[in-house]
Amino acid sequence: MKSWGRPVHPLTSIARELRLTVFEMINSAKSGHLGGSFSALDIMTALYFANTFNFDRDHFVLSPGHLSAPLYAILAKTGKIPESILSTFSQIDSILESHSSHKVPGVEFSSGSLGQGLSFAAGLALGDKDHHTVCLTTDGEHDEGQIWEAIMFANKYHQGNLINIVDYNGLQIGGATSDIMPLDELAAKYIRFGWTVQTIDGHNFYALPKALKVAKNSTIYPACIIAKTTMSRGISFMENDYHYHDVKKLPPEIYQKAKNELEK
Amino acid sequence: MNWKNSNLLSMRSAFADTLFDLAKNDPNLYVVSAGLRPSVMMDKFATRYKTRFIEVGVAENNAAGVAAGLAKSGKNVFLCTYACFSPGINLATIKQSICENHLPVKIIGYHGGLLTGELGASHQMLEDIALMRSLPTMEVFAPLDAIETVKMTKVLAKSNSPTYMRLVRPDSPECYPHSFGFTIGQSRIIMPGSDVTVLGYGPILTQAINLNLKTSQEIINLSSLKPLDEKTILKSVKKTGRCLVIEDHQIMGGLGEGIAALILKSGLKCKFAQIGVDNQFGKSSIDPLDLYRIYGLSTTDIIAKINYLMKK
Repeated sequence: MKSWGRPVHPLTSIARELRLTVFEMINSAKSGHLGGSFSALDIMTALYFANTFNFDRDHFVLSPGHLSAPLYAILAKTGKIPESILSTFSQIDSILESHSSHKVPGVEFSSGSLGQGLSFAAGLALGDKDHHTVCLTTDGEHDEGQIWEAIMFANKYHQGNLINIVDYNGLQIGGATSDIMPLDELAAKYIRFGWTVQTIDGHNFYALPKALKVAKNSTIYPACIIAKTTMSRGISFMENDYHYHDVKKLPPEIYQKAKNELEK
Repeated sequence: MNWKNSNLLSMRSAFADTLFDLAKNDPNLYVVSAGLRPSVMMDKFATRYKTRFIEVGVAENNAAGVAAGLAKSGKNVFLCTYACFSPGINLATIKQSICENHLPVKIIGYHGGLLTGELGASHQMLEDIALMRSLPTMEVFAPLDAIETVKMTKVLAKSNSPTYMRLVRPDSPECYPHSFGFTIGQSRIIMPGSDVTVLGYGPILTQAINLNLKTSQEIINLSSLKPLDEKTILKSVKKTGRCLVIEDHQIMGGLGEGIAALILKSGLKCKFAQIGVDNQFGKSSIDPLDLYRIYGLSTTDIIAKINYLMKK
């Protein structure tokens, strides 16, 4: 995962480690949302390790609760939860619910039902104007009308302390977002709704922290970052294939092949 | 009680005025409105507490989400709109953003029941109690009249639980004894009696008072629907052996089913009857009491059910 023509960014090694952790979590649970977890993982890595935000004070709202595994892995790496519990992901006696749960230290929002996170983030940003609230949503999630209600709301209340990062991988559980419900010109839509917008490569660790900083500096307008990503990023034979939106038990040869790539 | 000869008071005004007063001493008190500010009587609040009045427009899912986020930041949030839209439209947001996250948002459901009158089927919320009492962590309340609304609002403002309170649209008879307080999880015996236990919530229950019957009714106000005062209910039913549940709500999923289950589980012998809307949509009527007549929720219907229960 080299960034074009530049030295390998320090965040790359963190992301590599997190991908392996998430892969093992999902594999040991024999169930998990691999595709989206790997498309959003670099975004979350930048959020937590690029030092733009401090989530002991700022807020992170993960709207797509099914992308819980990378968040849990990050919380373990930052010492919020013990690493030893990661292997209990989705299991009956574990706090690590398959869809993100606020009962896990460091998780601010229990989620799973799509489209709700941005409203929650907007409310949180309104109630805590001294800090930033960063929401992560997905492109597929923008089918939900509630997202647009929240987009209008953030504009009305000039929520300069609200940031929405869209993990735009172009796929959802049943196929391409362009087939299921086209989002055409999402950036233009956000602009017309009164937001500032940056469109970036959601796997580029030079672009991500820079975009976060720009978004953080927006004081009047809510800021949207459309992060173009690749579903299942990092496992070449799973990339851009919506069938890997969620996986069950991986056959041993697939597991090994994927692991070899992640360890590269 | 004859409504026409009673002192009629507005529950909506009682709630709005109480909240306005509470906001004076609670700088964290916020109102989230979903486009119905005049109807939910929040004009005064919106003018006086501009920055604490959050108008989301006709968008109930966003309203519930924003309310949850505000509550997460430590605000004391009241979400005020019609029950037919909240929880009628935004159930999933209430379930996840508010209840699953265990945030103490107070959802005020205006226009509960057939009493909503001329606005008809779309606006007469007859399913809110069913929806709200089924949600884990949610506490559910419905005051008897404006007096209880005031007492209840003051208590609920201090609650740390997700909360639903149902209000009605028209002015309704003043009935709640001023000496009574309000406590979460406690019912109040409005009139003691020995032959039939009459249970219910909201203004419809006042119809069971002073019926001029030979039988003696014990009328219990179940304004705290969840948590429910099981002890008082069972004690009364044990004494009377007869129970009538009255509600301006669908029978299916209503409180009556909960009471029936409670009595069955207790092993008490009891003859049981229900007053409620029987699997039908409402309709328009200028006089809401005409709806009670048509749908079988009138004083006459209550008397008929009591007589049925008294038959051997």
